[in-house]
Amino acid sequence: MVRNKKKIFILFCICILVLSGCGVKKSENLQKRKVAVIMKSTESAFFKAVSSGANAAGTAYNMDILFEGPRNEEDYVTQNKMIEKAIEEKYDAIIFSAVDYNANAKAIEKAAQAGIKIIVIDSDVNSKKVDCRISTNNYNAGKMAGEAVLKNKEKELHIGIVNFDKNSKNGQERERGFKDFIKKDNRVKNVETINVISTVEQAKEQTKEFLKNHQKMNVLVTFNEWTSLGVGYAVKELGIQDKMQVIAFDNNVVSVGMLETGEVDALIVQNPYAMGYLGVESAYNLLNRISLKDKEVNTETICATRKNMYDEEYQKILFAFE
Amino acid sequence: MKKTKNKRNIIKKISLSEMLIGIVVVIVLVLTLMFFFTFVNIYKNTTEESVVTSSEQAVLQVKNTVENYTSDMEVLMKMIQKNISQGEKDTDTYLNNLIGIRQDIVAITTYDENGKLLKAWSDQKRLKENILKNLSFNQNISKENSKMLNITKPHVESLFVDYYPWVVTISQQMKNAKNETIQVALDIQFSQIANYIDEVGIGQHGYCYIADNKGNIIYHPQQQLIYSGLKEEQYNYLKDGSHVEKDAIYSVQSLDNCEWKIIGVCYIDEMITNKVNHIMKTLFVIFLVVVLFTVIIIRLFSKLFSNPAKELANAMREFEKDTNHFEFKMIEGTAEITSLTESFEHMVIQIKELVEKVRQEEITLRKTELKALQAQINPHFLYNTLDAIAWLCEEERYKDAVEMVNSLAKLFRISISRGHELITIEKEVQHAKSYLKIQNFRYKNQFTYSFDIDEECLGYLCNKITLQPIIENSIYHGIDRMVDEGKINIGIHQKEDKIIFTIEDNGVGMTMEQCEEILHQDASDRVGIGIKNVNDRIKIYFGEQYGLTIQSELDEGTRVTISMPKITEKDYGEK
Repeated sequence: MVRNKKKIFILFCICILVLSGCGVKKSENLQKRKVAVIMKSTESAFFKAVSSGANAAGTAYNMDILFEGPRNEEDYVTQNKMIEKAIEEKYDAIIFSAVDYNANAKAIEKAAQAGIKIIVIDSDVNSKKVDCRISTNNYNAGKMAGEAVLKNKEKELHIGIVNFDKNSKNGQERERGFKDFIKKDNRVKNVETINVISTVEQAKEQTKEFLKNHQKMNVLVTFNEWTSLGVGYAVKELGIQDKMQVIAFDNNVVSVGMLETGEVDALIVQNPYAMGYLGVESAYNLLNRISLKDKEVNTETICATRKNMYDEEYQKILFAFE
Repeated sequence: MKKTKNKRNIIKKISLSEMLIGIVVVIVLVLTLMFFFTFVNIYKNTTEESVVTSSEQAVLQVKNTVENYTSDMEVLMKMIQKNISQGEKDTDTYLNNLIGIRQDIVAITTYDENGKLLKAWSDQKRLKENILKNLSFNQNISKENSKMLNITKPHVESLFVDYYPWVVTISQQMKNAKNETIQVALDIQFSQIANYIDEVGIGQHGYCYIADNKGNIIYHPQQQLIYSGLKEEQYNYLKDGSHVEKDAIYSVQSLDNCEWKIIGVCYIDEMITNKVNHIMKTLFVIFLVVVLFTVIIIRLFSKLFSNPAKELANAMREFEKDTNHFEFKMIEGTAEITSLTESFEHMVIQIKELVEKVRQEEITLRKTELKALQAQINPHFLYNTLDAIAWLCEEERYKDAVEMVNSLAKLFRISISRGHELITIEKEVQHAKSYLKIQNFRYKNQFTYSFDIDEECLGYLCNKITLQPIIENSIYHGIDRMVDEGKINIGIHQKEDKIIFTIEDNGVGMTMEQCEEILHQDASDRVGIGIKNVNDRIKIYFGEQYGLTIQSELDEGTRVTISMPKITEKDYGEK
């Protein structure tokens, strides 16, 4: 009886000490977390918008943001090296946009194994260790492009698709969505696809070549920023903006200009700023054990045309505020 | 009824220190909570006030800066108007230079009444050939010549090739040199104000933004976040003053020279709740530490009191168990405990005295009682003896009669020897012999008797009338009912420091129950003072270890053994 009481008393004391210890510990500040944002490139307006979104969130949530990406958008080797480096330097989270759906998977799994939180934005990677995915619903974006194409009044539609790297998941999804949607329409006579290297120059040259081989073609669809510019320039150089319907992807100053001047007829615009911001926000939540609302987040996509591009809502999305 | 009992039991089981700890913890808790809530309330109110004041100040500052900027623009506008209205030749150079110097001016344009672009100055930017939509022309310009500046909500500059900055347009109607009504539009990019507003912080995450009276956001530090649909401002319509909304405090001030207002946002949770939480944590820790210390101190303190109290309680319990052998030891403690201990000590001593007194009195009483019994002589025995003597006289057996009378006289002398409970064994033996002689005569030599006595024993003392009741018993219960001749043998021997008397007969014997009965039966009419009486007396005088035992077997005989200490006359005298 007496011993029991003593035990209880000692336990009570320990409890109090531990509790007060907790109270003191909780008030300490946490270390600044490091987040690596590894993209397909750092040059395009798209990824620049991702960067500014990520930085805005980094400031809001007090985290260090490293933004990097390979020079060209096919270079998954450099991307893997960047992941390795992030592991070595003990980053807390990686926000990743995969060049290659399969070739990037191993490096990402390794990072996940090292306890790094993985958030995929824009372009997916073949791994189950991804904590959160934030991207455009690429299939729906493709469908949106299809809708724009079907507004064409021509009786026969000969469609050319200028897509980028075949191994990149998002491009393939967009193409699939697009094709699925236009299948329904019997005006569509044929659909040809070429895959080009994702630079303006390459896309332009290959598009010209493509058009030379397919004289009947009256619709061109392309699925990222660089190929959009390449196609736009090709159409401009060939002077066929009036008879060619071009559906392009992503906005930058030049492609918006082309939309206004007619080389491009519709722009499917994603929300890269939101992707960057939400990516870092999710990283923050994961690192602080705040449960995420969704493991898959789809950001908004709009279809801008010459008619609506200066409407207030479209302005806000088409033109970055600097 | 039962419940109150239980309660009492619970209270009984709680020790003083536990009770003290409980009370102190409760008091500390109540006090801390009271203190805490009052404090938090006061703190919250004062912080809220100071937060409101500081955010109002910040907003005022921003308002002044923005107002300076807009009045600056007003002045600029007037200069431009003046320049255009005079229709001077160097207007182009002047305006182009102005745009070159002022980084925030994107373009200056003029329109006719229908919105047709008349002229644009833009410092070498390429004007589009076909302008799809001109966002700089203000269709809803107020015709009245109010003092307020006409400023549009933000829009994209749509006039130049590959150049799409976000601007606001300040427009003004005027007459040109040809007296036509034209509209002058000044497109400005507010990088200057933007940088300033970005820097303004209210608290850690609070900020300021500019909205117009229609609820459009003019500039927000997180403009892009709002444009991306990730953030919304819900309180653009608030009137001037401070408003405490759900999660933030909004301070609003309108500009005097245009339809803009500055809205300062500061988050309640970071400004107040976080601080309150922090204080709460600190207070909690302090509270725990205080409780810990009080508990320890009370433990130590109560030990001063409760330990001696426990000791005292133990002492009392021991005393209760064994009053005779209890030895009291002083218990150290506080003054209260010492006085309690002293009282207890007194009590112990008094009780012991009382107990001793009672015991003595009891013994005395017993002795008196027993003595009174000794004095009684079985009347039947006397009648019978006297009858026998009378009969002897009638028969003229005078010699026998004399012997009988002598024996009776001896018997009585020893019996009545007043004041002396203890007599020598010699006398006791004489007494027994006298008795046997009388009885033998009366029973007409139905039995024989013999003595086997260690001579050394004769000098020691024994209780008087020890042997006679036993012999009486042997005759009445043993020999009286026998057909054969009875035998009684009396032996007195020493064994270590004891004297052992044995009285054996060869009578009918007794069962165990009978033996027991005899030992516990008080004297009756028929028998004399009784065996029980003998046993009691021996025990009272010499102690429990001495006394009388009976061994008996039916048809074999009975043997009574009496043990006594060796006591000389000297010892007795001392006693």
